[in-house]
Amino acid sequence: MSNHLFERTSINNIRLHVLPTKRFKTYAISVYIGCPLSESTVTPVGLIPFVLRRGSMKYPETKQFRKKLDDMYGAGFGFDVVKRGDHQIIKFQMDVINDHFVNEKNSLLKQSIQFLGGTITNPYVENDAFSKSYVEAEKNTVQKRIEGLINDKIRYAAERCIQEMCKNEPYRLYALGQIDELKEITPTILYEEYKRWLRDAVMDIYVVGDTSLDEVEKFVKDHFNIHDKQQTEYEQKSNQGSTSQKQIKSVIEELDVTQGKLNMGLRTHVTYADKDYPTALMYNGILGSFPHSKLFVNVREKESLAYYSSSRFEGHKGIITIHSGIEINNYDKAVEIIKKQIEDLKKGIISNIELTHTKAMISNQLQEIQDSAFEMIGFDFNNILSGKERSSDELIQQINDVDILSISTFAEQIDLDTIYFLRDKKGEE
Amino acid sequence: MKTIPYEKLNEKIFFEQLDNGLKVFILPKPGFKKTFATFSTKYGSVDNHFQVEGKQKVKVPDGIAHFLEHKMFEEPTGDVFSQFSSQGASANAFTSFDRTVYLFSATEQIEKNIETLINFVQNPYFTDESVEKEKGIIGQEINMYKDNPDWRCYFGLIDAMYHTHPVHIDIAGTIDSISKITKEQLLECYYTFYHPSNMNLFIVGGVEPEQIMRLVKENQSHKNYEKQGNIKRYFENESSSVKEVKKITVLPVSLPKCLFGFKESELENESSGLLQRECEMKVLLDVLFGSSSDIYQKLYDEKLITDQFSHEYNGQYDFAFSIMGGETREPEMLLSRVKEEIDKVMKQGIEPAAFERSRKKKIGNFLRMLNSPESIASEFTRYQFKDIDLFDILTTYENLKIEQVNNRLNTHFDWTKMSASIVQSEENG
Repeated sequence: MSNHLFERTSINNIRLHVLPTKRFKTYAISVYIGCPLSESTVTPVGLIPFVLRRGSMKYPETKQFRKKLDDMYGAGFGFDVVKRGDHQIIKFQMDVINDHFVNEKNSLLKQSIQFLGGTITNPYVENDAFSKSYVEAEKNTVQKRIEGLINDKIRYAAERCIQEMCKNEPYRLYALGQIDELKEITPTILYEEYKRWLRDAVMDIYVVGDTSLDEVEKFVKDHFNIHDKQQTEYEQKSNQGSTSQKQIKSVIEELDVTQGKLNMGLRTHVTYADKDYPTALMYNGILGSFPHSKLFVNVREKESLAYYSSSRFEGHKGIITIHSGIEINNYDKAVEIIKKQIEDLKKGIISNIELTHTKAMISNQLQEIQDSAFEMIGFDFNNILSGKERSSDELIQQINDVDILSISTFAEQIDLDTIYFLRDKKGEE
Repeated sequence: MKTIPYEKLNEKIFFEQLDNGLKVFILPKPGFKKTFATFSTKYGSVDNHFQVEGKQKVKVPDGIAHFLEHKMFEEPTGDVFSQFSSQGASANAFTSFDRTVYLFSATEQIEKNIETLINFVQNPYFTDESVEKEKGIIGQEINMYKDNPDWRCYFGLIDAMYHTHPVHIDIAGTIDSISKITKEQLLECYYTFYHPSNMNLFIVGGVEPEQIMRLVKENQSHKNYEKQGNIKRYFENESSSVKEVKKITVLPVSLPKCLFGFKESELENESSGLLQRECEMKVLLDVLFGSSSDIYQKLYDEKLITDQFSHEYNGQYDFAFSIMGGETREPEMLLSRVKEEIDKVMKQGIEPAAFERSRKKKIGNFLRMLNSPESIASEFTRYQFKDIDLFDILTTYENLKIEQVNNRLNTHFDWTKMSASIVQSEENG
């Protein structure tokens, strides 16, 4: 079975990507709305989807809004606020049963696009502003979310490591914004911000399921009420975070914890669109994204220092982050072992087994994407966001072509930037 | 080989029980690239006191099922993860109250990976030294959960409900309990619970069922398993009351977490009753606390809950309880408001329209689940061990009556059977 291809068009400067297939029992719909990540807009933009999910002109009350979703056989509806590279992306998602499996007279796909279109482009407003009670309630929700980051120490440590590492870049910002800024937002300010965002942000709509481009185009035309959209493509900035520093930044923070969280941030100077992207994926795979990787084998299996020790590559930003949970007293030992893995990669100490296993695993991950509608959408959106057309088959081919020498050459340009350690409070009790 | 067609759903399961007792299920998903396989034993954290027909009664340390799961990945040739990696498969395992599941997903070398899965689980290999070493890794896993407020709140609630039933024990045990685990005890548990007659193999994906069944049979025919008598599990008599009405855990959190639930003392002893009750409870909890319910919206507006508020039902033959809750600024006020609201609903019964909506939603959720091979495998096995056919869920929802759910409402919410678990910072208290 060959790779499925998205069929594409655009309406009113909204891009549509449709993949007709009968493989799934549902229609998967995603809407990506992205704008540059910036200190002045990150907070209001992050708040927008929270307010939008409270009600539209058609379903002004939140209960009606949610009942409509329940009536559509419990259609999945959700949104997410994320940062990808130096963009802040709001993603709305719906997942609804193909009518074929239930007795439904009105197309559930049409109802879903109508619902999403209404939610995003025709929100509930009163006197040219969002509802005061919705805005206040959702400000509170977002504030609690931001404050709640500290509850999950794994995520907290990861976020703090990035903050320290990217102190002078927009990427330091938390995707949901800042509590101080939240306080200043009024229903009128937010509505103005919303209109600007809707006009200026780049919008991509994806549908995967038993439908056609023509059908989706018609539904979108009827239900996405936007006519002044200008920006139609993501702006590409090259040279991501090339601010190389010679000194490794080291940060230690104390909280009431049992386990220490050791995180590190590395700059690869390579992003999604670059020629070296496949090499960067291989580097990260050998270092720490699988159970056969250097981190898992050396930190966990050989030394029993941690339950988890792994690395992750943010391909749009070009940063690799390392995560591990360790006994607090083992800090020096763990740092030393992790640094040695990074050094070994530079020296080309990479076994054939590490190379072939990593290739097999990455290739498996890329193939598996085809089985999930939302993963296919996510993969395609990476191409769209980075302006680089690269199919999963092409990427698999390029991964297969990477050899040990190219990984070690690539490894030389990698800088360990920041070491962050979350530990218990010393000297108390 | 038997085939079980589910025509309405467009699915067909192939099934056979082999001579040694192993049950094998295959669900072909034409067009899917990925194959997902689970090899599961009906053996979890609650099985700490048992006896095989004709043998001695055995009592083992807490956390041993989970410890065994960790150790199974070790083979004389090294770590089995590495072999999966060389075959492009990602492997994993987990232990719950009532089962241990080993799994992989892969897009290539499916037959080889299935054999690897079966062979490593059917080949225990541990040394005294490696058992000791694992204590360090699991110790870090235990410490990681200790710092996780959601985890502590959830298991704190179960601990508050149960006096003696081992469901209240942490799945991973404690640092103290695992320190006592020996190689001999691990082997004893292994030979008791990893007998094929206590296990099942489930394979879903783009596979050819006859061929896979042949492969599994061939593999098993070379292994000489002697017949094993029934396994008797011992549980001390559990009082119908809860152990603690309120349990408070102190951890640094931004907002208190409060979960509460009702312990059921009247248990079901046959499978159709168990499934019926579970479906009634799930619809009931959704009607009461789903995001489109009156109660949810009121409590949200009163800022007593956040959008992370959730509910679940856990029904087994030997224990059953509901859990609901989330973050709240005022645990006590939340509990009293919930009581007030539920008492109101109890007087008039649930609304027919809300019942219909929730029922439809549950049907939709079930159908959506069928898109995901992972979910099918995991859910199928979970129900299989309770002697329930996963696909009967659909008909049970279709035939559900509002009177049944109203009866459930009146029996389940017995305020003398409620416990609450609260996690708060010192300063919240």
